[in-house]
Amino acid sequence: MTATPLLAIDNLVTAFDTPAGRLPAVDGVSLAIERGRTLGLVGESGCGKSVTAMSILRLVASPGRIESGSIRLAVDGELLELTSLPERRLQEIRGGRIGMIFQEPMTSLNPVFTVGDQIAEVVRLHRRAGRAAARARALEMLRLVRVADPEQRLDAYPHQLSGGMRQRVMIAMALACEPDLVIADEPTTALDVTIQAQILELLDDLRHRLGTAILLITHDLGVVAETCDDVAVMYAGRIVEQAPAAELFSRPRHPYTIGLLAARPDADRRGSGPLTTIPGMVPPPQEFPSGCRFHPRCSHAQQPRCASEVPLLREIMPGHLARCHFAEEISP
Amino acid sequence: MTAVPPDAGRTAAEWLPSGEATEPALLAVEQLQTHFPIHRGLLRRQVGRVCAVDGVSFVIPRGQTLGLVGESGCGKTTVGRSLLRLIEPTGGSVRFAGLDVRGQSHRALRSLRRRMQIVFQDPYGSLNPRMKVRSILEEGLVIHGMGDRMTRLERMAAALERTGLAAAALDRYPHEFSGGQRQRIAIARAVVLEPEFLVLDEPVSALDVSIQAQVINLLAELRQELGLTYLFISHDLSVVEYLADQVAVMYLGRIVESAPAERLCRQPLHPYTQALFSAVPSVEPSRRRQRIVLPGDVPSPSRPPSGCRFHPRCPLAETVCREVDPPQVDLAGHRVHCHVASRELDRTGGDAAAASATIQAAITAAAVGSAGLSGPRSDA
Repeated sequence: MTATPLLAIDNLVTAFDTPAGRLPAVDGVSLAIERGRTLGLVGESGCGKSVTAMSILRLVASPGRIESGSIRLAVDGELLELTSLPERRLQEIRGGRIGMIFQEPMTSLNPVFTVGDQIAEVVRLHRRAGRAAARARALEMLRLVRVADPEQRLDAYPHQLSGGMRQRVMIAMALACEPDLVIADEPTTALDVTIQAQILELLDDLRHRLGTAILLITHDLGVVAETCDDVAVMYAGRIVEQAPAAELFSRPRHPYTIGLLAARPDADRRGSGPLTTIPGMVPPPQEFPSGCRFHPRCSHAQQPRCASEVPLLREIMPGHLARCHFAEEISP
Repeated sequence: MTAVPPDAGRTAAEWLPSGEATEPALLAVEQLQTHFPIHRGLLRRQVGRVCAVDGVSFVIPRGQTLGLVGESGCGKTTVGRSLLRLIEPTGGSVRFAGLDVRGQSHRALRSLRRRMQIVFQDPYGSLNPRMKVRSILEEGLVIHGMGDRMTRLERMAAALERTGLAAAALDRYPHEFSGGQRQRIAIARAVVLEPEFLVLDEPVSALDVSIQAQVINLLAELRQELGLTYLFISHDLSVVEYLADQVAVMYLGRIVESAPAERLCRQPLHPYTQALFSAVPSVEPSRRRQRIVLPGDVPSPSRPPSGCRFHPRCPLAETVCREVDPPQVDLAGHRVHCHVASRELDRTGGDAAAASATIQAAITAAAVGSAGLSGPRSDA
């Protein structure tokens, strides 16, 4: 890691206060994203990956709240602590310094405004641009994200566009103010594979041209493998493994990562017996096990250690972190 | 079986005889059509129709699995529902175990439906939240008059156990279960009726990776132990490649290519199939292909393009593709509807591997703007 990453999350704890008690959806997550790099945050439903992303921009809805930890963003040479930044300043960050792309473009776009107005609004807010200048910028952005017939599309409403087009509009909005970081939460999950291919290629191209860093949140290991520089795998509110993408996929060391990779069906596994499965299911936060949270499902677990002692996320090889007592002894 | 359009210019007869399975097919579908009328205005006049399924043919031999893949709106779900007449087809024929499904009276259809069951994608939407698992499972048994109270209970407990749940689940409500367990309940509801054929409509798409593998294994076991025949509908090519014997690829209401699973993924001939396979992100660098990015979106099935329906997005489209609907070429069970593929097969004397490689190279070349295939590009 270099001296100052663009974004540094340190020991973040985001919990939800519910009648059932305090549920720590994110429980001590640390991450760093460098300028121009893509970090993939992967995990299954309920692992806390989206809550982590929402915490960065303080968009976690009540009863959820950031309990502790720090989130620092490098802005013009200084480090801003996002967890304590006044709401007013934070609004400049949202959409200005950090853009967001959500999974379902239909629900994140406003149905009663044209897409041109919605992109222009971002520019007017953050750049104090005039109407004409903002509209020109919106048109430029639609061109950049390769929307066909951008002049006509400027005056189209979201429902008049296909899913892939809407996601392009979302990307145009997220990038309109040239943010340093884009948080993309399952940006292609609602799309078909051929449209997913278009969007992934677009994101990759824009990243290289604009130098934007991307935090890509997804459950799809294939998407991560093909688009990310670095990967962090989350399980039950914690990061269990983190490494450069090529390293993680060729030498996974945490039993959960190994299990996820082995559970993927494909043609090569035809006829070679049943798929390897991870027994049981992801525990809900109120039932997080003691010790290593993966131990009840882990075939390598050794008692009493795994059930009692929380493993640390430690470096087992340069740049490769794993949260497992036996990471050195395990190989896929 | 598969009807070749009358305008078929050339046939594959010179290559090899059709690799038709000799065992009798459990399900034979011929030229299935399901069109939905579009009504507009005060008088609700019909102004058009959506051709969701527009001439689909396939057979599934007993004990085999046909994987039906395609993107949203291609009509794959409508095919599944039309087979069971959950949606009434508007044309073509469906034969199940020798019976004409479309010609059955409602009463006869009911007994047929016991033998043909369906599992839906969303285990949250497909189970009634106000019914206990007991009632969910028993409903079908009662409707079909299967057993008395005691034997029904035994059957239900056995079905639950078979799908990996305890009999104690009978007295619980769907919300008490996780997504994977609910899908097991939905599968138990289908198998408790001792069907022969299951339509599985995206049965694992809503599940997490680690749970998905468990349910896929369960489906494979059930197929083996109960001798079930599956129509497995999915947009996920990896799952289909793993589970299916035959794979059919749909685009805009039609099957554009079908073949035994291994041949289809090793030697895809249709440019759409090639793009579809290349677009699946893979974690293994060795399996990663050059990604073919298709331009544009799938057109609306109410206004399908002329000629080959794929031509507006096809990097290899020629004049003939815009004008003439491509006939089917059948290469020993590997069937494809594509002018370019059929010419390449002619050129290579029916060598699918060579033709597949040439087409792939041409698409890749077309994507970077250079000219494509060898051979004539404009003759019909």
